[in-house]
Amino acid sequence: MKAELRKSPPEPLEAVRFDIPKPYVTVLENGLQVIIFEQERLPLVSFRLAFKSGDIHDPAGQTGLTSAMTSMLTEGTELYTSRQLAEMTERLGASLSANASDDFTIVSASSLTLYSSEVLGLMAEAVLRPTFPENELDLYRRNTLENLKFQRSQPGFLAGEQAARLVYGDHPYAIVSPKAADIEKLNRDDLVRFHASTFVPNNAILMIVGDVKRDEIVGRIQDLFGDWQAKDVSRTEFPAPPHRSSRSLTIVDRPGSAQSNIVITNLGVPREHPDYFPLIVMNQVLGAGASSRVFMNLREEKGYTYGAYTRIDFKALSGDLEATAEVRTAVTGDSLKEFFYELERIRNEDVGEDELADAKNFLTGVFPIRAETQEGLTNLIVNQNLYGLSDDYLQTYRDHVDAVTVDDVRRVANTHIRPDEVAIVIVGDAEEVLPQATQHASSVEIFDIDGNIQDVAKYAKTENAATADVAGKWSLNIDFQGQQLPVSLTLEQDGESVTGVLETMLGNGKITAGSVSGSKLSAVATAEMQGQPIDFSISGKVSGDSMSGTLTAPIVPEPLPFTGSRA
Amino acid sequence: MTDTFKLPPLEIVEYKLSNGLRVVFNPDNAIPVVSVAVYYNVGSRNERDGRTGFAHLFEHMMFQGSENVPKAGHFQYIMKAGGTMNGTTSSERTNYYETLPANQLPLALWLESDRMRSLAVTQENLDNQREAVKEEKRLRYDNQPYGQIFDLINEMIYKNFANSHSTIGSMDHLDDATVEDVQEFFRIYYAPNNAVLTLSGAFDQQIAKDLIETYFGDIPSQPLPPELDVSEPPEVAETYREWEDKLAPFPAFLIGWKIPPRRTPEFHALYLAGKTLYDGESSRLYQKLVKGKESVIQLFGFTDERRGPSSIFVGAIPKPEEDLSLIRETIMNEIQDLATHGPTAEEMEKLENQLLNDSIRHRQSSMSRAQQIAEYALYDGDPTIVNRELDELLSVTGEQIRMAAAQFLNTDNRALLDIVPPANG
Repeated sequence: MKAELRKSPPEPLEAVRFDIPKPYVTVLENGLQVIIFEQERLPLVSFRLAFKSGDIHDPAGQTGLTSAMTSMLTEGTELYTSRQLAEMTERLGASLSANASDDFTIVSASSLTLYSSEVLGLMAEAVLRPTFPENELDLYRRNTLENLKFQRSQPGFLAGEQAARLVYGDHPYAIVSPKAADIEKLNRDDLVRFHASTFVPNNAILMIVGDVKRDEIVGRIQDLFGDWQAKDVSRTEFPAPPHRSSRSLTIVDRPGSAQSNIVITNLGVPREHPDYFPLIVMNQVLGAGASSRVFMNLREEKGYTYGAYTRIDFKALSGDLEATAEVRTAVTGDSLKEFFYELERIRNEDVGEDELADAKNFLTGVFPIRAETQEGLTNLIVNQNLYGLSDDYLQTYRDHVDAVTVDDVRRVANTHIRPDEVAIVIVGDAEEVLPQATQHASSVEIFDIDGNIQDVAKYAKTENAATADVAGKWSLNIDFQGQQLPVSLTLEQDGESVTGVLETMLGNGKITAGSVSGSKLSAVATAEMQGQPIDFSISGKVSGDSMSGTLTAPIVPEPLPFTGSRA
Repeated sequence: MTDTFKLPPLEIVEYKLSNGLRVVFNPDNAIPVVSVAVYYNVGSRNERDGRTGFAHLFEHMMFQGSENVPKAGHFQYIMKAGGTMNGTTSSERTNYYETLPANQLPLALWLESDRMRSLAVTQENLDNQREAVKEEKRLRYDNQPYGQIFDLINEMIYKNFANSHSTIGSMDHLDDATVEDVQEFFRIYYAPNNAVLTLSGAFDQQIAKDLIETYFGDIPSQPLPPELDVSEPPEVAETYREWEDKLAPFPAFLIGWKIPPRRTPEFHALYLAGKTLYDGESSRLYQKLVKGKESVIQLFGFTDERRGPSSIFVGAIPKPEEDLSLIRETIMNEIQDLATHGPTAEEMEKLENQLLNDSIRHRQSSMSRAQQIAEYALYDGDPTIVNRELDELLSVTGEQIRMAAAQFLNTDNRALLDIVPPANG
């Protein structure tokens, strides 16, 4: 009997509702909205003072101003130096920090209930009386400029930069990082003025979650923030994102790149859009996780990549949808084909009832796990209030997810995934990528990594050489961070198809579907690691009995160069 | 302040199945989520020479399927139910855990019991997990700058083989292992009477009890594992070693001291001495080295808690061109100051508040509670220690910290590992 019982997974027990009570809401005379969520569970308090302005509100020619002003809040105030502020905070066992995003600027603090009054005082000091000391600004400027340089070496950044430009056009959501020239001319006066005009109480929400007494804390808030003067907040009008009517291809050329970073994207919708719930369920089926369709197809079945996903970004004023993967250069075109197959399939066919149920179970299941800690719960409350979601949003989340039907999923897939007007962005070796990807788009542009546009014609392959002979046993040396690691590659060739074995110190990988095109060898050796297939992608150039190229594995960040010869 | 502040105790219920499986409940209905943790009393300390790396190899084997759960099925089941999961290995134990919506408790118990009862210890699984462990070793230890330094310093600190060898183990030993060796290891150490099962979060105790009896009740118990000797002489095995790290971009060093076992008054005092020295931006060494002299890129320190002799470490990666001996002198001077004058009143206040804050934050998630409770149940035979540990730490005086620093840290009985980049640059 028991052995029978053990054969299949047990049925769940009756679902337990996750009831989140509603908070207390009040508004100070100066317009500061105060939301207090009393939770006596543990003697902790979390504070968030959030402003409904973010990086998109940077003045023209001053990109990075909001982020700089925000980072500098804790680097010196009228009463305390940067170090004093850090010491006072740590001595209370507390934390205090500030951060800006596209739409919002959030100052965060947390502490034991015992010190909530002191910590709120430190937070008020940082928010209301920052002095932006010159020496700290200098350090910030140097660090930021270093970081701007560094990020251009990251293919993910380059892909995101182009994708945002193509989807958002002249809308400031297109700007994913500040311009170096704007950072260089950052000065104290600008920060002071910008702080005075944007940090105003009538544009802010103070959220308090945890073990507080409402009356006491409201009194303290009144003392600290009551004299803060309201000011007119100018409403900024932003240019509309462009209307796209055809499928375009943008390549960022990284010569020698063994991988292609693919982003396929189109404009989406703002966070408060009524299709939000059907969209997140649809996305869970399509590509949000490791059991979603694009992952199962591109990774599990085809082995093109270590991971393939789709993502929906809901912002305050707009949003975007994207499908992404880092794939081996040789299968860039095949990966695009599979992505478009999945994008069309979810538009044209109903999702299965089981798939739908798994997606909903995941979304409703992780929701309470996210709310277990005060930080997690606070983040849910912050999002609810900043995006202006309904008062019962947290209470009805589960019902909204559960209500999504097969028809809803198909409808929102049809409305919001638009394969005929997507932008395809690929960061990779343009010469290799272009012939594979060009058939998938009606226009092509190519940039270098510094963002300069290039002449497409110069990437068209002119050689049409005879297929090289690659059969035999090759001894290759891989350069791994200065160490030479020997591997051996045994290949059999049939026309342009190649099979064989890659033997490495990390284990052996089988090659089942390699190819030779001219003098170029592309092959993937699949080994197993912790029960998961791991792909080593080989991209080589053969010249007689010698070969050079790169080996890429998802477990090492950069392609590893190799050279070697045929035995 | 401690007089005005009392943390309410966690509710703890413990019992034992007839097969010896120890069960601990921490019911807390605040959030409809449940965490299940299974702690097996086996870590690298149980491995003898010639058989190292087995405990960790098993952590891999446990995801390879069992009688009714397919290979890699564990992860898929948990994910589709809206949960999270993992497993880890240390010198002391191997643990497995998952957090799920409260109504999915049966799934977690089914999955954990199936592998405790009927893990698929086959030649095929052994072969591919052995390879997987070798890859993990190369990636996480051999091919990481500074990746091997903690294994090296443990060899320098401990004399007893049970303590000194690494968790990842010897690849030769893994290669020598037969399926029979591995099955035997599973039989001895993955027995119900060698494990603790902890549930924390929202669940009905009677339903949980019935489910546990159904799924775990008839897994046979086994003779207890062999007795273990982890005793150590006070002196370290080796006081100095220079080691060339082929991947290190900069020279670095690591100092390790041998200290008394976890939960002794001395260990508690040294844990607090360590926090004073290296924890946070206002700590002594951070202020002296990262801020004041701006001579190090990275500074770190921590304690390694063991049931037997334990250890404490301080390490630094100095900026290029800095004199390492001067930096070490600064560290030893701070230790000497702490051993002479003890912590300041401000430092004691900070310690007190950080202990309170940490202790409360660690109670928020059911997973964190389940893990703490499982450790006390497994190591000390008493899960209710979770309700006393904070008071024990708060009762440590500045004088105790001073004395512990004087006896155990301000001494030449320590291991110093100098890490040098390859000679040819």
